[in-house]
Amino acid sequence: MNAKSFALYAAGIAALALFPMVIHNPYYIHLAETILIYAILLFGLDIVVGYTGQVSLGHAGLFGIGSYTTGVLVFKLGMPFLVALPASLAVTAAFGALLALPALRVTGPYLAMVTLAFGTIIQILINEMTFLTEGPLGIKIAKPSFFGHKLGEVAFFYVVGVIMVLSLAVVHRILKSHLGRAFQALRDSPIASDCMGVSVYRYKVYAFVISAALAGVAGSLYAYSEEYISPNTYNFELTILFLLAVIMGGRKTRSGALLGALIVVMLPSLLADISLFRQIATAAAVITVLTSAVLVAQKRRAMRAVAVPLAGTAGMALFSYQLENIVDWRLTIFGLMTLFVVYYLQDGVIGFLRGLVGRTGPRASTAVVAADESRAWAAPDSPIANGGHLLQARQVLMQFGGLKALNRVDLDVVKGSVHGLIGPNGSGKSTMMNVLTGIYRPTDGAVEFNGRVISGSTPSAIALGGVARTFQNVQLFGEMTATENVLVGLHHTFRSNVLDVMLHTPRYRREEREALERAAAILQFVGLASLANEEARNLPYGKQRLLEIGRALGLNPALLLLDEPAAGLTAPDIRELVAIIRKIRQHGITIILIEHHMDVVMSISDTVTVLDFGQKIAEGEPAFVQADSKVIEAYLGGSAAEPEAGASASATIMTRS
Amino acid sequence: MLTISNLHAAYGKVEVLHGISLEVPKGRVVTLIGSNGAGKTTTMRAISGMIKPKTGKVTLAGRDVTGLDSHRIARAGLAHSPEGRRVFSTMSVTDNLLLGAFPRFTRARPRGDISRDLERALELFPRLKERQHQLAGTLSGGEQQMLAMARAVMLNPEVILLDEPSMGLAPILVDEVFRIISRLKEQGVTMLLVEQFAAAALNVADYGYVLENGRISVHGPADSLKNDPAVKVAYLGGAQSH
Repeated sequence: MNAKSFALYAAGIAALALFPMVIHNPYYIHLAETILIYAILLFGLDIVVGYTGQVSLGHAGLFGIGSYTTGVLVFKLGMPFLVALPASLAVTAAFGALLALPALRVTGPYLAMVTLAFGTIIQILINEMTFLTEGPLGIKIAKPSFFGHKLGEVAFFYVVGVIMVLSLAVVHRILKSHLGRAFQALRDSPIASDCMGVSVYRYKVYAFVISAALAGVAGSLYAYSEEYISPNTYNFELTILFLLAVIMGGRKTRSGALLGALIVVMLPSLLADISLFRQIATAAAVITVLTSAVLVAQKRRAMRAVAVPLAGTAGMALFSYQLENIVDWRLTIFGLMTLFVVYYLQDGVIGFLRGLVGRTGPRASTAVVAADESRAWAAPDSPIANGGHLLQARQVLMQFGGLKALNRVDLDVVKGSVHGLIGPNGSGKSTMMNVLTGIYRPTDGAVEFNGRVISGSTPSAIALGGVARTFQNVQLFGEMTATENVLVGLHHTFRSNVLDVMLHTPRYRREEREALERAAAILQFVGLASLANEEARNLPYGKQRLLEIGRALGLNPALLLLDEPAAGLTAPDIRELVAIIRKIRQHGITIILIEHHMDVVMSISDTVTVLDFGQKIAEGEPAFVQADSKVIEAYLGGSAAEPEAGASASATIMTRS
Repeated sequence: MLTISNLHAAYGKVEVLHGISLEVPKGRVVTLIGSNGAGKTTTMRAISGMIKPKTGKVTLAGRDVTGLDSHRIARAGLAHSPEGRRVFSTMSVTDNLLLGAFPRFTRARPRGDISRDLERALELFPRLKERQHQLAGTLSGGEQQMLAMARAVMLNPEVILLDEPSMGLAPILVDEVFRIISRLKEQGVTMLLVEQFAAAALNVADYGYVLENGRISVHGPADSLKNDPAVKVAYLGGAQSH
């Protein structure tokens, strides 16, 4: 943490501590308390929505479970605060795991519907289970007592404040750790996450459980804060409000969650008072005019781009003075403002402010570590005994409906070798890749790796066993930096659990430091050291392919599968790539290479297998395969004979060691 | 036909193109070569409106199309066959091709004889003719590339932008793609071509521009670029290096 952000945190905590001393009106203290409670829930919701990219319309339900767990324990059993709060956390976390189950199967609108149903069912259950929840009558509970002394409004505000700050710190630490990186990774590319040994299944459940635990804490505090709970609080509108808060505030930031909570709690009150509304509308108009003026003057935006927001805010300000009675217009105004934020500030208010001060997007400033290329490799294993078979595919059959994408293919990959796999488009090469890495389970046949049958295992288990891969259509974690992408590959080096992360134990700190050093070394090795803090999606195509290789190396693979690494690369980049592949091989890593650039395949492969229509049509040393008439007919074409423009294409690129 | 002058473009805050000027005359094939990250695809995207240029001017058939939305630029007669193909995978081959002609159906472009052009496109790409009722997603990579090119032709455009048409294709198909580009050229189609196989691109093109770090470093007739020693070393994999 640098001095600036430390000062910011200190100021925030001080403001929180001073608030009840400055403001004595209990109504405002209660309002501030509600904001803090919502913020706790929003930290959790942001993990699911912002980080793992899932939709949840079930969080009001989880919030209700938290409230009612506390409500029932206090009302029926007279349990103290220190029992009720952890119980709410645990019970709600369990329900979070339940809510995660549909998320493992469906995404997008379907997940929205399933979670919405979850929320609705919870509300109905609370309403109907009268023996437990008192149904529509609701439950009255008192503020918690300590040693027979009942906490007042101000004291409870401090309790909420402390828990909010703790939640903030915990969530922040989790999200900055390997766990947070895993969450983001599965948002950007689930398939790549699995192939990096980060089980999508497991981390989705983790995300929902952590998120639900926070909702449970928030629910419990809410019950104490309101001193009365009833089922209709936890309705669909509340769920929407939570989602809006995350989106308006700005996803993937804690300040965004706080701001979002502030907005959704304060807006209804602000919109109740017409003079206040006039002031705010005027202020908003003035701010928009000034920012637009600056942006246009600096030529960072065209006049056309700022016209609509200008007209919108100015119109709103004028309109506010026309209004006689605001109450009738509340929902309309709220809706318009929401629309405005969602349309114009897609990164939320916080994202927009960051854009103004020059920071694009939330970016972890990963510590700068001296890169030592030799550290890119894991501790040397026992000397590589070349010659034996590292991977053996036996009679692999992969059938999609009536189509046999792979028809009883054998593949033997010698330890320490580079094994080329070529064939026309659609011949089954990528299918083979997916079978070897566990993405497809073969219809028949088996794959043995290192003497162990791996067909049927999950992709993440196979990856952790030492099989790493790159993808034909690049599958990087786009919103993460180059360093963070490699760190996901290094996820398996972490033994720390959630507690280690929360407490920053020496074990966690050591693992994080070592992983950062390894990542820097790997980036140095693939020639991306200067782009370490660049977001993967902003890297040029050729660099993205290299980064994928770097990320795969993080797994310490025994076998590396490269799926068309040279596609779209120009001659000089291909030379660099070939040099890198040779170096990887020198470190004892066996390579399977799918590639259409014949000069690349033929110059670095020891053995080449040719597939056509799912069948092996040739196999052997490069020169032998290249001369095979079946291969020429199906794949290479009569390049040598035809004087066409393209004929010389594949032959022109020279590769050297 | 297509003129670009002093084009600047950026992703976020990072400027990628620092003032590109180039010209594609009617009926000619012009190629843009350069290493990865030089800005070739960005240039294509800026021309077709997929990203908005910061400054500069794009003129298509005498009309200023700078900063217009992609669909408006397409209506003005620019067909973009993007990197990585992007066919409509859950629609049939024929429907993909007809969608390529969409602005003609709505008369945003002169209508002409769409069914005759469909016939012609299928003749130009015989592999597509065999598969015209198949879903585009079930085609092999090579066939999808042909489809993307055929779809561009269906617009009956003033200019076609071809971004990496041979990427990820088997050698036998790379040859075929270049044969088709030659055929289109014979038919008088104006094209701007970005290709990883720079030598092959220069063989088919009339004129070439070399892009380096977002700037045009060299340009000239394709024949003279092919023999330019610096271009040879850097982009054609000439044997003089090392």
